[in-house]
Amino acid sequence: MLTAVEKTLALKSGRASVKPGDVVYPEPDFVMIHDGVVMAAKRELDALGITRLAAPEKVVMVTDHDVIYGSARAAERGAFNRRAAREWGVTQFFDVGRGGHGHIFPMETGMLLPGMFYFDNDRHSTNAGAIGAFGFRMGTEISRVLATGTNWVMVPHTVRLTITGRLAAGVHARDVGFRISALLESGALDADLDYRVLEYAGDLDQFDLAARAALCSSPTEMRAYGVFIPPSAAILEHAGSRAQRAFVPVYSDADARYERDLELDISSLEPQIALPGGVQNTVDLREVAGTRVDHAFLGSCGSGMYEDMRAAAAILEGRRLAPHVRMFVAPGSEASLRRMAGDGLLRTFIEAGVVMLPPGCGPCNDAVVGPVHSGEVSISTAANNNFGRFGAKNAQLYLGSPATVAASAVAGAIIDPREMRPMQRQSNRSPAIEDRPT
Amino acid sequence: MTDSFAWRLTGRCYRLGHDVPHAGGVVPNWIIAGRHFDPQELVPHLFEETDPGFHERARPGDIIVAGRNFGMGPKMNGYIAMQALGLGLVCESMPFLAYRAAIGCGLRVLTDCAGVTDLGATGDELEVDFRDGFFVNRTRDIQREFPPIPDALLEVVALGGNAGWLRHWWAARQSAPASGAGA
Repeated sequence: MLTAVEKTLALKSGRASVKPGDVVYPEPDFVMIHDGVVMAAKRELDALGITRLAAPEKVVMVTDHDVIYGSARAAERGAFNRRAAREWGVTQFFDVGRGGHGHIFPMETGMLLPGMFYFDNDRHSTNAGAIGAFGFRMGTEISRVLATGTNWVMVPHTVRLTITGRLAAGVHARDVGFRISALLESGALDADLDYRVLEYAGDLDQFDLAARAALCSSPTEMRAYGVFIPPSAAILEHAGSRAQRAFVPVYSDADARYERDLELDISSLEPQIALPGGVQNTVDLREVAGTRVDHAFLGSCGSGMYEDMRAAAAILEGRRLAPHVRMFVAPGSEASLRRMAGDGLLRTFIEAGVVMLPPGCGPCNDAVVGPVHSGEVSISTAANNNFGRFGAKNAQLYLGSPATVAASAVAGAIIDPREMRPMQRQSNRSPAIEDRPT
Repeated sequence: MTDSFAWRLTGRCYRLGHDVPHAGGVVPNWIIAGRHFDPQELVPHLFEETDPGFHERARPGDIIVAGRNFGMGPKMNGYIAMQALGLGLVCESMPFLAYRAAIGCGLRVLTDCAGVTDLGATGDELEVDFRDGFFVNRTRDIQREFPPIPDALLEVVALGGNAGWLRHWWAARQSAPASGAGA
């Protein structure tokens, strides 16, 4: 009678059973550390004389938060990280231009598989729920995990959210996440997600891996510590076809005990927009349609998979950005980028006038690249739109789905992506012609 | 070492309301943005925006009694300052990662203390046992039992937080190298 997270933590801690509130010490399948925090962790351990890690072969060091070194300090950190990987004996080191976003590429390469558990310094490791796994944030306590192999984990409660109905055409899984956030904020969905695992149930077969990553995004901003989407047959097939090792998927027992049972019908859901300040400020897009935008960004751990790129490209195909708009795109992985180069997506973006960023967080991390200025308006698929996230404190940051962001970048204002139907590719088209929404 | 640790604090109540954020409430935002973690640097800025000079009046053993949703954001700067001043923290609720950050600083902290802000005013004489969860307001003759620090976390607090825990773990390994890695 255990939920998926209870089962996972029990298994990894060598216990027959656990319940919320128990403190356990799970043995992780791997330990992820991101570029920005390696220096602090290594200095802390070196100062204590702890120069050897418990399990260097389990450590996955990724470069995603500041990929092209937006400052001299970042370049210093990059050099430090390379030395740290050598000194620690970390072989799974994904340096600049290798791998990509730590919350995305492991699910694509068969490193992160259903049923796994890992520690990460970063809270967006909740993305692991997309593939039916768990990644738990440790923040600066990642140093203890590196040194000893584990850390204390208090077993979280699980809140179940049953989705009914199918998403209408042109509506995206990110729109579902935004709506959930608004409903939690208003109390229409009666739950507090702080340190909970949000477990989805119901009509989930419609969601592919990219959509599942999208479903993990906004609940994380509402303080969920984990998100879990039980792997469908398609997800199991995806995982099985590229698994780097054997895996055992985990599912909640039929009689598992949930703290709350919530329901949401998505069949009439329209495109959503999160207003500046937080995902909880979500409204139907129609309420802010026509809002002029200056800056657009497609990417982040919530919308960095190939399918997200393709959804945006379908709208950008044969079109150009509005003259006053600059748009940045950061795919989630080097593999996606290569695929985009082969499938024509990259050409679509470039011909539309998009600026390509390396796989990674893009402006979503501390505005290290592609920031906005005071008073500018941005529409993006970032993880959140807290004030100041893209640099200037009084910039207006809106969030939307990949399609919404692409359509709005073309229109120069927030627009329903369903109003912008795919263009036919015309070989005699002059690239200087501006397109109006059809 | 958990037995010899001072789990009981005796001092004055410092009462705060609900929804006190870490950035811009416990410490100024620039402290967090600037990644200041040195206790000496942090102490003068504790509650500076709402109560300048707080650190000069605070005495070891004083207890911050706060309402719901204390310390939004998993930041630790304020807890480092509280610990350096020898304070304790009792609140009606705090985000779990904020609680984890406080434990990680070695702070004596109780959370999920429903209604505690009704049990005392600033200046009241309090005695709080963080291992048993016993809360006593001597001034008003009130006693309550609240959820204590979980047994599994006592060691981290007794050792002064994460840094102290790691130091202790490493020292123990040095003197007994045959023992395995882990908790």
